[in-house]
Amino acid sequence: MATEHVSLTIDGRSVSVPAGASIWDAAARLGIHIPVLCHDPRLRPVGVCRLCVVDTGERTLAAACVRPCQDGMEVRTDSEEVEAHRRMLLELLLSEQPDRSAREETTGDDALYALARRYGIREILLPDGGEGTPRGRDASSPVIDVDHQACILCDRCVRGCDEIQHNDVITRTGKGYGTRIAFDLDVSMAESTCVSCGECVAVCPTGALTHKAVRGLRLEEGA
Amino acid sequence: MRLLKAMLALQASEGAVTDAALRDLARREGVPLYRLEGLRSFYPVFRKHPGKAMQVEVCRDLVCCMAADGDPVRQVREALADRDDVDVRAVSCLGQCDRAPAAMVDHRPVTGPADGIRACLSGEQMAPESGTLPSGRWATDPYKAAEQYYTTVHALLTESEPDAVIRALKDAGLRGLGGAAFPTGMKWDFTRRAPGGEKYVICNADESEPGTFKDRVILEDLPHLVIEGMLIGAWVIGARRGIIYLRHEYGAARKALETAIAEAYQRGILGEAAFGPGRGFDLEVFVSPGGYIMGEETALLEALEDRRGEPRNKPPFPTDAGLHGKPTLINNVETFAAVPAICGRGADWWAAQGLGDHKGLKFVSVSGDVERPGVHCVPWGTTARQVLELCGGLVGSQPLKAFSPGGASTSFLPPEKLDTPLDFDAMQGAGSALGTGAMVFVAGHRDLLDVTLAQLRFFRNESCGKCVPCRVGSHKAVEMVEQVQRGERAGPGIALEALHRTLARTSICGLGQVALLPLVEALRTFPDEPSLQPLRGEE
Repeated sequence: MATEHVSLTIDGRSVSVPAGASIWDAAARLGIHIPVLCHDPRLRPVGVCRLCVVDTGERTLAAACVRPCQDGMEVRTDSEEVEAHRRMLLELLLSEQPDRSAREETTGDDALYALARRYGIREILLPDGGEGTPRGRDASSPVIDVDHQACILCDRCVRGCDEIQHNDVITRTGKGYGTRIAFDLDVSMAESTCVSCGECVAVCPTGALTHKAVRGLRLEEGA
Repeated sequence: MRLLKAMLALQASEGAVTDAALRDLARREGVPLYRLEGLRSFYPVFRKHPGKAMQVEVCRDLVCCMAADGDPVRQVREALADRDDVDVRAVSCLGQCDRAPAAMVDHRPVTGPADGIRACLSGEQMAPESGTLPSGRWATDPYKAAEQYYTTVHALLTESEPDAVIRALKDAGLRGLGGAAFPTGMKWDFTRRAPGGEKYVICNADESEPGTFKDRVILEDLPHLVIEGMLIGAWVIGARRGIIYLRHEYGAARKALETAIAEAYQRGILGEAAFGPGRGFDLEVFVSPGGYIMGEETALLEALEDRRGEPRNKPPFPTDAGLHGKPTLINNVETFAAVPAICGRGADWWAAQGLGDHKGLKFVSVSGDVERPGVHCVPWGTTARQVLELCGGLVGSQPLKAFSPGGASTSFLPPEKLDTPLDFDAMQGAGSALGTGAMVFVAGHRDLLDVTLAQLRFFRNESCGKCVPCRVGSHKAVEMVEQVQRGERAGPGIALEALHRTLARTSICGLGQVALLPLVEALRTFPDEPSLQPLRGEE
């Protein structure tokens, strides 16, 4: 049976994709890389960071990673308004970050920092939520360092742990602004059923989950 | 529903859902621990450890702050400072704004708070029970006696067809009365035509927006109309199963519903032959583990599927893919309760109940600085001024400063707009929205900064935390205003407007989209309000 296709335009360019494809995937086919933090092509999209919002002419903007393409859709990925919202979303996230990113300082691939550079964000006028790192850190695992302050709750570690590795350890705990990631019944990573596979570190876009070894910390160093 | 029901049962019997209990539940149900932690930490009903002997929950939201002329939670804490057997917790709106300041003592509503709670703790005062009112008091009830209940759905089964019901709802002009105002006939039509053998009908009885308590009264007084509306909906779309999603604070409503459901089963109205031999319909009440966001229909569905109640990205909409991915008809309590009258008396009768060009009847919850807060059923087209008069005007005949026509998510309007009729479009034209019809009147001596900040705090407190703009943005907005109040920041008005634009356009659901609306709109609508001046100006 032939695959059903839908045709749409993205930033004025026509593209035809299999029905059900996301706007993010359709844009990638045209070489348009829509910025995103919570999405990774290996993972089921969840549309929570909202950086990939695009204008489809509706009342609200759509998250490109989760929104399926529709026939005749006219999508704008880079309008002035869309870019202004992305900048605000980045400022919101950056205002909560600790002073230093363990990922940026070692492997240099902190995706939030990279977007901040791309958008030329230097000064944040929002109240500083990172000062004193109130969200704390969990250094109990012999392998993985957890910096809750650097976590943007993108859900990538949760999906990596549960859906790629089927280790079923990580969740979000709490609600609203107080939400953070947790292991099992909210015990320390060392006490949890974590097998230190490293998938969460591999999919984490920020300095929230990093390898102690890569950071020059001794592996047996705990607590 | 299985996991949450098990956890609710644990909470009720043990006073907590402990780690040991969750390890046991995880083993029995074959689910990972992380999933149960995600649930326990998300829903406010659950405790990790049992609390003290007495639990006092005090409403911290707008109408109760107004009634207490300050922070009701602090007042109760101070009044009960000598009681080390009492846990006092701040909670969001309890849906008792007509009895403000409101609180719950061991899950029973009390008023007063400090005096009422003391009286309740000493056994002198009991919770106000649901009023068993004479049938026919409400104009939307077509029945004079209990024997007549459900005669409308039975007449439809034998004499009509589903498409005629959809036509009647469209002719009656019925729109969703939970606040979103989506045309009801269209929603029923979509769900009826959605492909799929298995479908569900759900009543959203989770009203939780500060100022809103009309559904509580409808559920307590007219449970049979809600059930009959759901029966008609189920017959139209072809559902075999229905669920009433009820907020846990509505104990009297739960009792009324469960009694009415039991009677309907006894009479064979519900059950295996509801629509004829072999064509059954089962209905049950699911008690929510708490949280305003559960009233967002896809968050509600997530809860029914035993997940954290975080709204889904849409589309798909529930009419196509709702509960367990099946087409699902979700309507508000008041919407379902209007259906028997529309089907029984006719769309023309319903339309004629409105004033002028307006069609139908509307329940409004009225609270704030009025003489007699309460619920009224009024014709569409009644003006805000007439509603205020129904409630005896403002306390002490004070001047009016502002009123919210529709609940926490709608902008405050100035007194000049009092003659705006109750109507979705007219309220929008006046610069606000009708929302749920939760009208809060604010007297002249109040500071609008306190009033709008209370609404903002409510949304911040009730954000589920799923998406960045709402989770972080609502928190930053509160912080910015509080910094102004402490003299640490100069007018963030422009920054708040920019933040509001981002939340309105990028948040997943309506909560984030409106979180900053009342505050930001008040800056525009009330240019001379002294309390708002510090928010204005350049950063």
